[in-house]
Amino acid sequence: MIDERMEELASLHVLGLLTPPEARAFAANLARDPELQALVTSLFAARDALAGTAPAATPSPEVKHQLMAKLAARVKKPALRPTAKPAWSLPSFWLPWAVATAAVVVAVHQTLDQRNLQSTVRNQNARITELDQLADTLRGATNQLSQTVANLQSATKLADVRIALLSSLLSDSPKAVAVSLWDNQQQSGVFVVQNLKPLPADRDYQLWVIDPQYAIPVSAGVFQVDNTGNVRLHFKTDKAILTADKFAVTLEPKGGLPTPTLKNLVLMGG
Amino acid sequence: MGATENQPATDQDVELLRGISEGDRWAFACFYDQYCKLLFAVAYRILNDQKESEDVLQEVFLQIWDKAGSYNPLLGKPVSWAVTLTRNKAIDYIRAHQRRSKLLEHAATEFLTRAPGSAVANDSVHGRENSELINSAVAELPADQRKAIEMAFFGGLTQNEISESLKEPLGTIKARIRRGMLKLRERLEGFV
Repeated sequence: MIDERMEELASLHVLGLLTPPEARAFAANLARDPELQALVTSLFAARDALAGTAPAATPSPEVKHQLMAKLAARVKKPALRPTAKPAWSLPSFWLPWAVATAAVVVAVHQTLDQRNLQSTVRNQNARITELDQLADTLRGATNQLSQTVANLQSATKLADVRIALLSSLLSDSPKAVAVSLWDNQQQSGVFVVQNLKPLPADRDYQLWVIDPQYAIPVSAGVFQVDNTGNVRLHFKTDKAILTADKFAVTLEPKGGLPTPTLKNLVLMGG
Repeated sequence: MGATENQPATDQDVELLRGISEGDRWAFACFYDQYCKLLFAVAYRILNDQKESEDVLQEVFLQIWDKAGSYNPLLGKPVSWAVTLTRNKAIDYIRAHQRRSKLLEHAATEFLTRAPGSAVANDSVHGRENSELINSAVAELPADQRKAIEMAFFGGLTQNEISESLKEPLGTIKARIRRGMLKLRERLEGFV
């Protein structure tokens, strides 16, 4: 139960009015009280709404240009790239294993900081089981995709294939998942999606490729899913892609837009 | 826009911050496009100067680039964090340039002079229709509560400075701010 005193401190806190000793004491309470955290979050939201009543004003476009230029000099770390030339002499069922392997790498990366090694192994095993199930599910939807991959293999192009797993950003479609394969030499790709919500006729999903050389994502076309939320499609991009760093899907008006609507981000991954 | 619809936007913001923390410039550009107008408007409201506000905006976004990995959800949603950074940076700017008297004067009179129906920063975040509903909720606050809150947030005044400026006891000011913030929160429930 939050009393009036704590409500007062929370209100002063979100307005930056607490004195340093008050702020320290309040931070200690905040860290251990979920109810107080919820109150503070909602008071921050109210404060943000108040902040938004400031008269509309727009910064010069030069600000963004300068910022992006400064970021170029502050690169944190190199982006992940598919580097090693793989020995892709596998049969055409390689895709689920590739997906599983890629995701296991992610899982391993996420658990590096965990102190208990046994717990880590258990988590990894559970994750592998989960990914095996995902791979099984995807296998059924990617028979034709496998044929495409086989064709690519025969053309010895696989070293340039970028494989990305996209996960859902929607609270109402948490099971939506997609895999994108991008052949940089061919400048074309295959996109497989499952469990995405079917759309009304006046809306489309739009696929985007994020290439660091461009300030905005590059459109790879629009698509709809079938009644079960699945689709598999071949795609090309509006511009030449140098590095397919990430892939994203947004919800857009019918026919798509030249730039993505960020509020409608549906899937993202890389 | 209801609370349910708002939730994915917050998830997206968290995802964007995660990308920024990993050096993803596209995620940074997305976050900038989403909130630059709101943050710039806040800075401009405090500083009342285009160049200074742009300087503050740049510093804030560089700070977001550098510190995205240390974003703490206890400090509110990502946009709340960004608003706090902007407000604090703008207030620091005023203090550093010894514009305190201007700050006091500006804070005391600003909220009385706003033209009703004019475009506000919320338009860029919530859309015009929802923005008007939010403005109405803010406008319906009792004038004494709203004034104390705006003097604190936009004016950067301390509790004691507000008390002295309004010639009211400190306890009255604190209670006024508490009642005003809780009322604002209640009236905006479902919109933010």
